Amino acid sequence: MSESSTAEANRPGKSSKEQQPGLFARIALFVRQVVAELRKVVTPTRSELVNYTIVVLVFVLLVMAFVFVLDFGIGKLVMWVFGTPSA
Amino acid sequence: MLRAFAQAFRTPDLRRKLLFTMGIIVIFRIGSFLPTPGVNYANVQTCVSASADNDVLGLINLFSGGALLQLSVFALGIMPYITASIIVQLLRVVIPHFEALHKEGQAGTAKLTQYTRYLTIFLAILQATTIITTARTGVLFGGCGEAGGTIPVISDDSAVTILLAILTMTAGTGLVMWLAELITERGVGNGMSLLIFISIAASFPAALWTVANAQGGFMTFLLVVLLALLLIAVVVFVEQSQRRIPVQYAKRMVGRRVYGGTSTYIPIKINMAGVIPVIFASSILMLPTLLAQFGDQNAGWVQWILRHFATPASPFYLITFALLILFFAFFYTSITFNPDEVADNMKRYGGFVPGIRAGRPTAEYLRYVINRVTSAGSIYLVLVALIPTLAFVLLGISNIPFGGTSLLIIVGVGLETVKQIDSQLQQRHYEGILK
Repeated sequence: MSESSTAEANRPGKSSKEQQPGLFARIALFVRQVVAELRKVVTPTRSELVNYTIVVLVFVLLVMAFVFVLDFGIGKLVMWVFGTPSA
Repeated sequence: MLRAFAQAFRTPDLRRKLLFTMGIIVIFRIGSFLPTPGVNYANVQTCVSASADNDVLGLINLFSGGALLQLSVFALGIMPYITASIIVQLLRVVIPHFEALHKEGQAGTAKLTQYTRYLTIFLAILQATTIITTARTGVLFGGCGEAGGTIPVISDDSAVTILLAILTMTAGTGLVMWLAELITERGVGNGMSLLIFISIAASFPAALWTVANAQGGFMTFLLVVLLALLLIAVVVFVEQSQRRIPVQYAKRMVGRRVYGGTSTYIPIKINMAGVIPVIFASSILMLPTLLAQFGDQNAGWVQWILRHFATPASPFYLITFALLILFFAFFYTSITFNPDEVADNMKRYGGFVPGIRAGRPTAEYLRYVINRVTSAGSIYLVLVALIPTLAFVLLGISNIPFGGTSLLIIVGVGLETVKQIDSQLQQRHYEGILK
């Protein structure tokens, strides 16, 4: 967002060129700031990560199994009611 | 951990919510199979298997959980509702009246929800008409099932039947919308995202089955599964990481008591917008394909759209998708988190970020941090959304079993829902699913 606004402000031939660093310098600064912020990010610990991943996996698989069984049953039922292909 | 899943069912409060949600899911799936009146079910089945590898409508079909090509009552699924809510949220920026309504609080939000519902019905009529018309002319199934042909999808080709079919699909969409709201209100998780999650989960086993059977054999299958596992871990990792902005609360004496004086933090997730940008981006990318269904199939622009937007592997599609995700990540973050408001609240309760003055400087600092963190977060979203597609292209798997979009939605919604269940478990002093 701020990248695009800075890019607009820095059209060639502007008088404010002396005061502000060039476009690439500012992009570099922005990237450095992004990295600096990312360094302050608190990441989950290894055990947390493993635990969460497994829980999500189990949950997703459970839901998938539930929907799969459900679909199978409903599909059969609808097939029975409304007829099968090439009947 | 697995015991906690069982524990969730033993807590009366939570059990009711879970069973309620499951009941809604059952209704949702039944409606996804039930054929619309006027549609010849047997002929639809024949046509679906005949045009199985037609991936023009693949993604749309995926988001409706296979209901679209069944021409079922819920053929449109939850997509019109999602599209409508995107449009209403986008309009908040354009129309001052909408922004005023949003700021008004609960009454205004209710009004906005009302607008969203009207728009949903409007979109549903539009899409239902498209689908029924294309099914009637045989375009939907790639030349199969024309009215008057040997296996007509719509047996009775009269105006009344077609109107009835369109009406039924529109009503079905309205019902789905209500079901989603019921889940949000009385069940677990966010109804809208949960229903799309269910739709994707429904077509996932079949997609995996195709990979296992058709192409490359066992090694490719293993590779795909490994890739999926890796991506799940990455998504969990990023969703759980946060930038914590420390906040110190001043001590206050009220009477003889001391309040405050605690230090907490504002958690800022790397990807604050969650899976919403991806859902928004992909539903917007569906519009051109849908539009193309209206036009003459041999017209230049229709051909152009079909070439560039219908296949997820085309570079043009990928670039547009990436740009849309970037845009929506920032857009949605700015909608959901208002730095001015947070700074104002902090000031009111005597809180401050160490080293930064309360009020406007704090808001600016928050904005600074959010912009930088979201920059990283949006790039992460784009990468996760695109990596599977790119990987499948590189592996030489032609019809893509699942995109990063569906994987992101599945993991994101799964994580969100599990966390919500967990927090409700912990309210009752159980140890929770997520220790």
